[in-house]
Amino acid sequence: MRDAFDAVIIGAGHNGLTLGCYLARCGMEVVVLERRHEEGGGLATEELTLPGFLHNVHANYHTFVEMAPAISDLEVENHGVSYVRPEVQMASIFEDGTALTIHSDLDKTCASIARFSEEDAETFARLYKEAHGYVDLLLGTLMYQPPMSVKELTKALAAFGVEDRSEFLGVKLRRETINWFLERHFTHPKVKAHLAFHGAVCGYANDVPGLAIGFPLLVGKIDNWHLCVGGSHRLAHGLWRDLAQHGGVMVSDAEVSRIEVEGGRAVGVVLADGTEITARRLVASTVDVEQTFLSMLPAESVPSPLRAKVEGGLAHQKWSLFSVHLALSETPHYRAAEFDPDVDRAWVVNLGYGSTAELDADWAEIRAGRLPASARPNAAVNSLYDPTDAPEGCFTGLLRQFAPYALADGGPARWDEIGRWYGRHCIEAWENYAPNLAGTVIDWVPYTPADIPRKIRNMVEGDWMMGEISLDNMLDQRPLPELGQYRTPVEGLYMAGSTQHPHGFITFGPAYNALQVIAEDCGLETWWREI
Amino acid sequence: MPDIYTNEWYDAVREAMNASAATLNGVPTGSFVVAVEIVGDGLSPYVEQGSTRHFLVKIDAGRCEWYREIASSEDERRAAGRGVDYRFTGSATAFDEIACGVLDPIDAALRGTVRVRGDMRFLMRHAEHVNALLGAYSREVDTTWPSGMPPYGVPSAAAAASDVVGTDAMMRRDGESIGA
Repeated sequence: MRDAFDAVIIGAGHNGLTLGCYLARCGMEVVVLERRHEEGGGLATEELTLPGFLHNVHANYHTFVEMAPAISDLEVENHGVSYVRPEVQMASIFEDGTALTIHSDLDKTCASIARFSEEDAETFARLYKEAHGYVDLLLGTLMYQPPMSVKELTKALAAFGVEDRSEFLGVKLRRETINWFLERHFTHPKVKAHLAFHGAVCGYANDVPGLAIGFPLLVGKIDNWHLCVGGSHRLAHGLWRDLAQHGGVMVSDAEVSRIEVEGGRAVGVVLADGTEITARRLVASTVDVEQTFLSMLPAESVPSPLRAKVEGGLAHQKWSLFSVHLALSETPHYRAAEFDPDVDRAWVVNLGYGSTAELDADWAEIRAGRLPASARPNAAVNSLYDPTDAPEGCFTGLLRQFAPYALADGGPARWDEIGRWYGRHCIEAWENYAPNLAGTVIDWVPYTPADIPRKIRNMVEGDWMMGEISLDNMLDQRPLPELGQYRTPVEGLYMAGSTQHPHGFITFGPAYNALQVIAEDCGLETWWREI
Repeated sequence: MPDIYTNEWYDAVREAMNASAATLNGVPTGSFVVAVEIVGDGLSPYVEQGSTRHFLVKIDAGRCEWYREIASSEDERRAAGRGVDYRFTGSATAFDEIACGVLDPIDAALRGTVRVRGDMRFLMRHAEHVNALLGAYSREVDTTWPSGMPPYGVPSAAAAASDVVGTDAMMRRDGESIGA
């Protein structure tokens, strides 16, 4: 490996690779360094159960396809990446045997909602259409630009008179919860429960003040959930191919132990094996703030107030995900299919949340370190839409249950004792709704909140969003005001991972936005801004 | 009064915009180029169905410095001297309706009737100035509509399928008072 590059990027998750691809296309000599044995970070697809069963260990839902500029700028479709947009995107199955389905076809979604409330169906249609109208504006304003402050956004919304022009957007949303939004606009508990559940799967808990501001955007892309064919890792591999085609290098098993700083400027990194790599123009970290500022940077190069804030603890999601990966010989046939046959074709299924109050109660338990009283996992069967992810005649399954990272009775380590038990519990909950699954589970493995940071160190405390989703940790305040514009106090060192605005998920946003700042600082021609 | 989309009309729009901007404090410094794509939709008589009219507008220090109609988007970069900063794209009917004050331009952007691309932060931070420019464009120029004035009076989908219906509707609108 060469010992000097223009840009040294720490972490080969989708943000690190994306930034590397753009910079390599700018003509920079780029190296992306990855601690693990392969690129991808959260884009990990592994045969966790049996050979031939491809399980997405972390990222499963790609909701920004056809929205994120990187997808087209980097031509990922030319690198073996393809997506499926399932016709039945999501469903909620309720304890009474009824079900609500979200389709890629708005009329079908509204027809499903109308079975519970015609008024809610009409409201949903208006909300969806309104949100679709301004989704480009919101994406351009809120996602794919270095962030503005909430104050600036509020002022602009007022100046443009948005509150008077929009039924659903408003300045007041910045103080309100998703629950408040749902109560204001919808009537039926199950409709509200489904929309709240959808927000939660996106990382937006329905009871957190301020998150209502993002809810219209979530609804605007509620039917834009895509499945990466062949597993999410295909995207990572496609990005790596693009990087390589443009002269960039990705090095696995290359753990960065130190960022070298001279005269207040980042000038390179040192790997755990002692290898020194010079950064001629920049170093970009896509790993967590804690590693970057407490472990990698020399203590004297980090201003004391910033160091104190990081040492004092950053805002992390107060809930994590407990997963069960399954190898199945049948797809689930839900009892609720008698009510709505489309549930059997739904990609993602909410098993049982029938009111926002039930979600609220579970959040309270989870934040206290306790397991919810009843397991209500969500279930995804990728093989319904991607038969290549399992041997012929077989299927993969994924259960995800909202859960605490640190259990009150034993902390995160307790998961190692109860993981199998709780996994069984979640499978039984699924079988209650789809009795045919009993006896069709060929193999399964739990993947607990404690496992998350073991595999992906960035995801501190099992925080798969790499930072709390809350108003105080949003936009230019994320992850800290000093770091909110991707620059750091160390010249030439940038933060470009999911710790930054907008957040985790496969958004490409942190890398894309950091790129804008790097381009400005380095005087790069912004070839990607084909307006 | 100038005919819509003629040089005289654009001169009038530019003067109105600059007069409006002159009343504001703190207009943004620097310059930017806006590309406007007006797509023929079979309703508006001013852009042939299936074709697109391309305009470039340069705003400098808060004032409209120049505008140009160019043959195609391929000529844009050369005409602009560099890449465009914003692109507004919409149907001819939408732009006609904005020009005659029937359609609010902010509403059009919010509802996706006119698609806006570019760095939204600048527009958001200078919302007052943007409002002034749009207000001048949509309300402060008296316009002659030689081929008919919107709204053209038929649903766009139906109109796209029937030029005859669209023409009838436009003929009826011709008789209405300008600026109504």
